[in-house]
Amino acid sequence: MPDQPVGSGPIHITLQTGSRLTRPVPPEVTEALLSAQITATAGERSGFQMAFDLTKQGALSRRLLPEGFFDPKTRVILSVSVKGTARVLLDGLIVRQEVGASNQPGHSTLTVTGEDLTLLMDLEERTDRYPNLRPSGRVARILAKYADYGIEPRVFQEQIEQPPRERLRVDYQSGTDLSYVNELARANGYTFYLEPGPRPGRSTAVWGPEARIGQRQHALNVNMDVNSTVDQLTFAYDGTAREEPQARVQDPATRDSRLLPQPDIGPLRPPLGRRATPALKRRTLSGTAKKESAQAQAELLARAALSADAISGSGSLDVNRHGYILRPRELVGVRGAGVTYDGDYFVKSVTHTIRPGSYQQNFTLSREGLIARSGTVRP
Amino acid sequence: MADIEPYENALDAIPGAHPYSRSSRYHDAEIGVHRMADGTEVRYAKRRLLPPLSEAATAAEESAPHTVSSGDRPDLLAQRYFGDPGQWWQIADANPVLDPQELTEEAGRTIAIPHAGGFPGPGARYA
Repeated sequence: MPDQPVGSGPIHITLQTGSRLTRPVPPEVTEALLSAQITATAGERSGFQMAFDLTKQGALSRRLLPEGFFDPKTRVILSVSVKGTARVLLDGLIVRQEVGASNQPGHSTLTVTGEDLTLLMDLEERTDRYPNLRPSGRVARILAKYADYGIEPRVFQEQIEQPPRERLRVDYQSGTDLSYVNELARANGYTFYLEPGPRPGRSTAVWGPEARIGQRQHALNVNMDVNSTVDQLTFAYDGTAREEPQARVQDPATRDSRLLPQPDIGPLRPPLGRRATPALKRRTLSGTAKKESAQAQAELLARAALSADAISGSGSLDVNRHGYILRPRELVGVRGAGVTYDGDYFVKSVTHTIRPGSYQQNFTLSREGLIARSGTVRP
Repeated sequence: MADIEPYENALDAIPGAHPYSRSSRYHDAEIGVHRMADGTEVRYAKRRLLPPLSEAATAAEESAPHTVSSGDRPDLLAQRYFGDPGQWWQIADANPVLDPQELTEEAGRTIAIPHAGGFPGPGARYA
């Protein structure tokens, strides 16, 4: 049939599975796929859930499931192409499977749940010592161990220099690699996440500041009649979200303690709103007196930056109508929401829900101030 | 151990600043910098080499055959198969032709349409 279209619409899914290296799944599996849901969040682990139709005589229940095709620790790569441009959405491992057998024919389902490749780093508890290594050096050394899953580290030097002094302090890791890397990221105001792609089987592990800069994604339009691309959008301004942390350090020689000055969080996260929200809460960080001054300063900065996002938005969109996939951990413009809430936002998390015939995205946005800084957004 | 990038890189190197969007045929092309005699830097896209055509690429697994009929145009085909007329270059890449008009010049010719998934592999199917 020469004139048969390759696919039936502008959106196509490619699914690959395997133990470490992956292969495209047999056609029975893609035919049985009922829905796939993928959540990607800035600074947190991504997860996925896929549902398959489990017919009694189908290949899934007779052959693939008993052979361990969906066993835990099976690697799954899902990429979606919109209008001929492919994008890897997920590179993860299966953690759990559920079989729901039903009396009604056609209602038995297999549900597979999993997490992204950072799960590998969370499996084993280890203790290790890192003499004379900066936090970024420690992270780079940890991440280098996971190269065989195609994970490429991208580690940034911490903003406040913390030169290691072995004579004074040797840093220890206790717990899993992931918890230690996350702990280091939190102490520096950074985030740690895995970005799948650009080719299937590759992913980048980013340990650095949130990229609140650069080119904006195509704007989300609300309340603009036929030009609206977003189904609904809700904004919230939480006055108590922002807090002003305070930290004291002690000089070991004189035993004098002094209050650290309030850091400027601008360099770590460039402001997106014109009117910054005031900090209503004041909180004292505990345990900073025994730390070195630079370490305490980094923690103070991290805490101030972390709580700065007082304004959050959430909504959903249809990719077919919007025309583009909204990507998490990048900036996006919003228009049509009124003077107060228009402007650029950081996309905090995105949940992709893919079913045959529909591709929905739920997203959350955040920024630290009201009123757009510029009069235009990228359309 | 991989290199640790300086902090300034994170916010100075603007992410997503590639001049060509992801759907462009030049997205994977390397961006070169030419220094003029007076010291100004001019950025340019380096020559884009076609992805290698393997034996399997022309096989039915990675592409679908299409018989050209009169009135076909590369952009119309791209709209029909990919949903975006701007993706005609993917068809031109799969059947190496110099001029895209060659694709649909003579009716009755069979050309290969790559699968819309973008990452074709043996046995790949697209839901």
